[in-house]
Amino acid sequence: MGGGPMIQSIDYWAIAGPLVLALAAGLVLLLDAFVPSRWVSGAVTLAAIVAAGVVIAVQAAQGTTRGTFCIPGSAAGSESCSFVLDRFTLIFAGLTLAAGAVIVLLSMGELASGRIPAGEWYFLLLSTLTGAVLLPASRDLIMLVVSLELVSLPVFALTALRRFDGRASEAALKLFLVSVVSTAIMLFGVSLLYGLTGSVHLDLLAAHLRDGVSQPALMGGDGAGVLAVGVVLVLAGFTFKVAAVPFHFWVGDVYQGAPIPVAALLSVISKAAGFAGVILILTQALPNQSWLWTPIVAIVAALTMTVGNVLALRQRDAVRMLAWSSVAQSGYILAPLAIGSGAAASVTYLVFYAAMNLGAFAVVTRFPGLIESHRGLVWRSPVAALALAFFLICLAGLPPGLAGLFAKVVVFRELVDGGLGWLAVVMAINTVIGLYYYLAWTVRLFAGRPEGAPSVGSRAVVTAIGLTAAVAVAFSLAPQLVLSAVG
Amino acid sequence: MDGYFGSYVVVAVLLAIGVGVFAGGLLANRMLRPHRPTVEKLTTYECGVDPVGEGWAQSQVRYYVFTYLYVVFAVDAVFLFPWATVFAAPGFGTTTLVEMFVFLAFIAIGILYAYRKRVLTWT
Repeated sequence: MGGGPMIQSIDYWAIAGPLVLALAAGLVLLLDAFVPSRWVSGAVTLAAIVAAGVVIAVQAAQGTTRGTFCIPGSAAGSESCSFVLDRFTLIFAGLTLAAGAVIVLLSMGELASGRIPAGEWYFLLLSTLTGAVLLPASRDLIMLVVSLELVSLPVFALTALRRFDGRASEAALKLFLVSVVSTAIMLFGVSLLYGLTGSVHLDLLAAHLRDGVSQPALMGGDGAGVLAVGVVLVLAGFTFKVAAVPFHFWVGDVYQGAPIPVAALLSVISKAAGFAGVILILTQALPNQSWLWTPIVAIVAALTMTVGNVLALRQRDAVRMLAWSSVAQSGYILAPLAIGSGAAASVTYLVFYAAMNLGAFAVVTRFPGLIESHRGLVWRSPVAALALAFFLICLAGLPPGLAGLFAKVVVFRELVDGGLGWLAVVMAINTVIGLYYYLAWTVRLFAGRPEGAPSVGSRAVVTAIGLTAAVAVAFSLAPQLVLSAVG
Repeated sequence: MDGYFGSYVVVAVLLAIGVGVFAGGLLANRMLRPHRPTVEKLTTYECGVDPVGEGWAQSQVRYYVFTYLYVVFAVDAVFLFPWATVFAAPGFGTTTLVEMFVFLAFIAIGILYAYRKRVLTWT
């Protein structure tokens, strides 16, 4: 230890967003212990998300990049920070918080039955959100792994909270096993990267790897073998989290068994966190190794979109169909990363996807069950049916669902400009396959007479449908909102 | 085989010796001893008493909570020990002291919650 102060100074304004969420999580737990009321817990949770959203909005308006928890960097006078607040962080934080607010509204419908303990539910939800807001700001490997675990761990419990439902327990166990194994694999990869370079900060990692792998003695060679294994293991860990092929098996059962708001959370927030992690590691720590990871990402993306779409073709349950369709969408999000410099297109697609997919889940929360039970929904509940039709058309990428169309165009342009024509062709074929099942579902909404399947939920769920529909329409009319923000 | 992988050869050899000693001992015993089994001789040895019940035993679920609490405090201690050795050293100070208590306060919320939910009572 050298001289000088050993304490890192903390920029509390920079970490205000996740801090608000973490404190609110503690508050919700205490409130549940002393004044158990699901309305109080719900209101506190929603207020915390809105407060964190305001913080993020003000930080975005300030427009400065801030870092905290810093150590001296590779160049003289520079700093490497574990927590960085930049445009990337703010976009992901905003996306997470907006999705979080919608999921709280959906939860209010789920909790209305009173059979699920509300205090625990909201506490776990806030913990997940804290992790998901922390993750895109993390710029060292340890922070990344810890925040990713903070996203994952509460979700097992959230899935299992329907203790009276055997399928929920099964889903929770599957999710737990898959997630723990993937974390172990990823930690192994992370330890190799650390062992190779001796640093955990992403920018220092990149600097070490650019200057030649620093410990050639390790393998008697240049360490390229160890590096390749490390990169593949880290990628494999993240592909579990974003449910990319070949680590996608858990998706169907887990989404179907989990409460629908939790399935929505898995498909948007948890997935966004996974993608934030992948993008950070690949573009910040390994930018000079893109020759190593771009082919892997391209193949995984092609397989993911194909397998997801093919599996979705035969589903009859609404949630299961959305589960496999979200696997296919993961493939589209992953595709631009295969260019090496296409992270912005990935983020753009992710933002559009989050709005459309959350909307579809919101309507399915209100009308759960088989897709067949949605037959003639437009005569019973015209607004919900029209909203669902719009979300599905967006996901398919057809006009008037311009949000989805723009998202796909952005990805296609990136792929073609980047010289990955074959991946663009694969994606085009997949888009056509996707059209079939999205449109078959949409047609059912308008066909025949209603059969009177029950509608579940409260005004909160209707509000959630309205909010997501408004956002999807706004993205369709003014896609530059997203395009310029992601830039 | 010297160098990086050479050090693993020692481990492999040690493992082989260990397996050899163990298997050799059992094998020698097997070949030297007389073998005349009866029903009594084949019953499970349980300190000279006749075995009762089955091998599958259930433990009380209420111990589970205490196991959990133990894990919480054990993890707690992992952070406390290194902290205790340095917090008074130069370069650290009040901030370091307060930080640890912030951490402890978060864990205390968990204990308080468990207490309020009556998990700690012996039922």
